[in-house]
Amino acid sequence: MTENSPKKSEYGAESIKVLKGLEAVRKRPGMYIGDTDDGSGLHHMVYEVVDNGIDEALAGYANYVSVKIHADSSVSVRDNGRGIPVDMHPEEGVSAAEVIMTQLHAGGKFNNTDEGGNAYKVSGGLHGVGVSVVNALSDWLELKVWRNDKVYFARFEKGECVEHVREIGDAPGEKGTEVRFMASAKTTDPEGTFSNLDYSFKTLETRLRELAFLNSGVRILLEDERPAEPLHVELHYDGGVKEFVKYLDRSKSALIPEPIYMVGEVRGIGVEVALWWNDGYHETVLPFTNNIPQRDGGTHLAGLRGALTRTLTKYAQDSGIAKKEKIDFTGDDAREGLTCVLSVKVPDPKFSSQTKDKLVSSEVRPAVENLVNEKLGEWFEEHPGEARQIVGKIVEAALAREAARKARELTRRKTAMDVASLPGKLADCQSKDPADSELFLVEGDSAGGSAKQGRERKNQAVLPLRGKILNVERARFDRMLSSEQIGTLITALGTGIGRDEFNIDKLRYHKIIIMTDADVDGAHIRTLLLTFFFRQMPSLIEHGYLYIAQPPLYKVTRGKSEVYLKDQAAFEEFLIHQGIEGARLRLGDGQEIIGADLERVVEEARMIRRILQAFPTHYPQSILEQAAIAGALVPGRVDADAQGVANAVAERLDLVALEYERGWSGRPTQDHGLRFARMVRGVEEHRTLDGTVLRSGEARRLAQHTTLLQEVYGTPAKLIRKDREQLIYGPLALLQAILSEGEKGLTLQRYKGLGEMNPEQLWETTLDPSARTLLQVKIDDVAEADDIFTKLMGDVVEPRREFIQQNALSVENLDF
Amino acid sequence: MSCPICGKTSVEKYRPFCSKRCADIDLARWLNGSYVIPGDLAEEEERAPEGPLGGASDRPH
Repeated sequence: MTENSPKKSEYGAESIKVLKGLEAVRKRPGMYIGDTDDGSGLHHMVYEVVDNGIDEALAGYANYVSVKIHADSSVSVRDNGRGIPVDMHPEEGVSAAEVIMTQLHAGGKFNNTDEGGNAYKVSGGLHGVGVSVVNALSDWLELKVWRNDKVYFARFEKGECVEHVREIGDAPGEKGTEVRFMASAKTTDPEGTFSNLDYSFKTLETRLRELAFLNSGVRILLEDERPAEPLHVELHYDGGVKEFVKYLDRSKSALIPEPIYMVGEVRGIGVEVALWWNDGYHETVLPFTNNIPQRDGGTHLAGLRGALTRTLTKYAQDSGIAKKEKIDFTGDDAREGLTCVLSVKVPDPKFSSQTKDKLVSSEVRPAVENLVNEKLGEWFEEHPGEARQIVGKIVEAALAREAARKARELTRRKTAMDVASLPGKLADCQSKDPADSELFLVEGDSAGGSAKQGRERKNQAVLPLRGKILNVERARFDRMLSSEQIGTLITALGTGIGRDEFNIDKLRYHKIIIMTDADVDGAHIRTLLLTFFFRQMPSLIEHGYLYIAQPPLYKVTRGKSEVYLKDQAAFEEFLIHQGIEGARLRLGDGQEIIGADLERVVEEARMIRRILQAFPTHYPQSILEQAAIAGALVPGRVDADAQGVANAVAERLDLVALEYERGWSGRPTQDHGLRFARMVRGVEEHRTLDGTVLRSGEARRLAQHTTLLQEVYGTPAKLIRKDREQLIYGPLALLQAILSEGEKGLTLQRYKGLGEMNPEQLWETTLDPSARTLLQVKIDDVAEADDIFTKLMGDVVEPRREFIQQNALSVENLDF
Repeated sequence: MSCPICGKTSVEKYRPFCSKRCADIDLARWLNGSYVIPGDLAEEEERAPEGPLGGASDRPH
């Protein structure tokens, strides 16, 4: 159709010019196709041809591209597009196909006016130089075109047309283009272009897969006939870049079930984005412009990042998360664990270099930014739960980053100097020997002041800590340790902080003693401190360096003597000790018990009282006590002789009762219990020990002491002091008598807080190593404290979280 | 034992946490004062220790 054209001389003249152009390509191939030695240029040869097929697909004329590496290392690429035009080119005088193959910068893609029906709106076309470069760098190239129900063929050698386009047969209904080329290799011709023709199946597959993702619906086939067992892969993805992201993260664990997918067109620029977060720390963001990857990003990436940071920041603020965690995150935090594919389709894009590694078209940034701002904002509104997870992860990234920074900062503080100047008011000790030095962590400023005055300056240091009280919702008083106090504490200890920085060898005190008030406030501060040490300095606890001071709860004065008592139990022991002084207990058989023996009997009475207190409260302890002495609780006794036991108990009750209130009688009940009654001033009074309580665990435990009870109280004992005596019918009465004697002449002072003690008292009771009791903290105890802590936090945090989630969209500046 | 931050199993090297990441998150919360133990007035009254004399003389019958 064209090769027998009469304009042969014109063609010849033109062709010289053309050959000059392609000569330049062969002379400096790197400028056009990339590196000819490392394989990248060679593979670009294939991509260049594939891109033509993809462009047909982008324009909507093709849905299929196949690539085949032949056994002779030639490569053919076929698409089912419209087919390269084979009619005469009006200016060049040869077929359009020949122009495209032999002239640089020829083809439909350079006409962006959309006036020519054949123009492409957007186009990849690797370097915008067209397939002519491939032709120029090939030993030979064969072109087949299916068009107008016919097949056409042309052949080129070293860029020159040796067989002009001609019709070679009929092909009804078929369309498309096939280019098969043999790249020029140095191995066959020293003047050749490429070092070798070693196409990598993997490399081609990766890029073709990319193209399949980026061009949703296009089917791409790759075949390799070189191996004995030919390779074959078909790539076809309908989900677009969303599928791409899933593919990239196929072996990672995702934060949210599906990637966020956004697509749209802004002022003629097509934007398609998929975002997904995984639990890793790496960022994978792949930006593409017209199917070409930009290794160095550019305006499209800048637009995406801007919108992403903006939207996430807004959500973090609106939801209250940022305020609660007291942290602002950066763009880097937002992109940790992010996998993203960003694909833009831009007419006439501008790049910073021939290799198109960076997009510089300024109009792309606002296009991407606007679209992502709008669509991501919508997505967040529609998926509040997932949005929270994403922002939660980002906030955690920010926290971890900040922790590392602050840890370095705190660790770098030079302790000796900085501690003295710290606002936290550490009163250090003189000794520099850690083994000899103690640090008291004292709750409250006033107690801190007493401790500072009362301590042994040589080796005791004092750091006052204040549980900051937050009046959050007026009715509630939350407790916390301020960041400043934690910082001061870390600096005072000298160890540094954080997994990388903490060093136990630098600890300045081998006794760290927590000293808090014996109230709820003190318990909270102690829990906070214990949890902090457990989580951030566990080795300090394992070394046995952490202690809890045991300040007294009471001060007891009798005459001139003063005694400090640490708790209720100690106080009672003290009273008993006082109460048995000068007392004798004469038993029914005349035996007298005094001193340490008496103290033991009273101790046993305390134990009996503890068991009696364990019974349900509606069973009178006095009845149970007497029933126990009568032996009614011994298992089987009631079953054997219910009436006999009932009589024995009634007898005991009469013994205890006042003379005019006696007359107890007992009888068995239907449920195998016992019922006791008496008449008092004409009214019947009755008590029942039902079958259940008589056979309960408590009853069995009490029954174990029957012998002992009968020995001491079986016949009422007599408590004798020098001026008086008193009948004792049971352990409760004995205890009462001893305790009330012990209380005589006592003045009791209860310390509500450490601050009520003056420095001398604090020294005598809590600081003085020869008098104090310290509780060494064990790691297991603290694990429990951590549980309590977690529960204390969790109880309130969870409902709050729900609240925030439910109100994420409506609440701004939520007071947290 | 489980990590106090994420609930995964603790790792010896980072105990009681599962990773440096979770340890760091925890540290940041200490250092910026986010850990707050909520209290309320009712709880305080409930847990206030009893008077010693009252407690001691009430119990024996």
